[in-house]
Amino acid sequence: MNEFEPVVILLVEDDVGDQKLIKQSFRSEHIANEFRISDTTEGAIKYLERSKAGHKDCPMPDLILLDLNMPGLEGKELLKVVKTDPELDIIPVVILTTSDSERDIIDSFKLQAAGYVKKPVTLEDFQQVVTDLTNYWFVICKHIEHDKDMKNDRNLCIVN
Amino acid sequence: MEDTKPAVVLLVEDDPGDQKLVKYALRFQQHQSNLQIVGTGEEAIEYLRQCKKGDESTPRPDIILLDLNMPGMGGKKFLQNIKADDELSTIPVVVVSTSDEKQDIEESYKLHAAGYVQKSDNLDKLRRIIQKLTQYWFATSMLVKK
Repeated sequence: MNEFEPVVILLVEDDVGDQKLIKQSFRSEHIANEFRISDTTEGAIKYLERSKAGHKDCPMPDLILLDLNMPGLEGKELLKVVKTDPELDIIPVVILTTSDSERDIIDSFKLQAAGYVKKPVTLEDFQQVVTDLTNYWFVICKHIEHDKDMKNDRNLCIVN
Repeated sequence: MEDTKPAVVLLVEDDPGDQKLVKYALRFQQHQSNLQIVGTGEEAIEYLRQCKKGDESTPRPDIILLDLNMPGMGGKKFLQNIKADDELSTIPVVVVSTSDEKQDIEESYKLHAAGYVQKSDNLDKLRRIIQKLTQYWFATSMLVKK
């Protein structure tokens, strides 16, 4: 991964408090990152459609962090969409949720989630989870460089 | 995963030197693992076939570490196979390869690899890589328990 290009993380999460917490925890890490946040599955699908169409304000994410329980379409539907679309299927999707039900874990891995993380309760544990995620996905794992020109536009794109 | 039982790691790797390196790298981690080693994709499929039968000598892997360049079917074909199997598709497969070719990385993710790590033949480096990998899979992420 190119050290000078920030990684793009698409966070799909309806809870505003969790959005902030996740973003701030990533800010403390040593890997430059940019967040794109959608509070619904539908919004994330729209975002990815724009990424595919090459819209500069919606760069292809290097990683998707996905909450499962959201109003409207549930998170699993986004996982299905990403993993069955040949233009999107290389993006790793990690579930980040409060649920630890066995059903949700099995369903998520069946749909090819690349990890299933239960949201920690304390701030300290939250930071640890974000450190572990960063170390795995952005320090040791190799990635495909998406179209670099698209990342030059730093306008924050929030889709609702 | 707060299980006290060591996580079962299936290493699919044909090079005896690399097998040893991974074994040593895993040995010094905080998270204990039960390492099972097979030398080819075909052997891995046979291992998993035994596992499905519930054979105790072949425990179900919690994760699979997969080399790409192997004689016979090779890593990608194996990955395709396991991801097409309903019972096995929930097992995360992490590619551990010397290759850092774009095509290998892209194809592996397309075949639903849950990570792609470049191998190092330096034990210290490999140990640091395996530390991050085991921390992610055995402490941070939850896994399907059978």
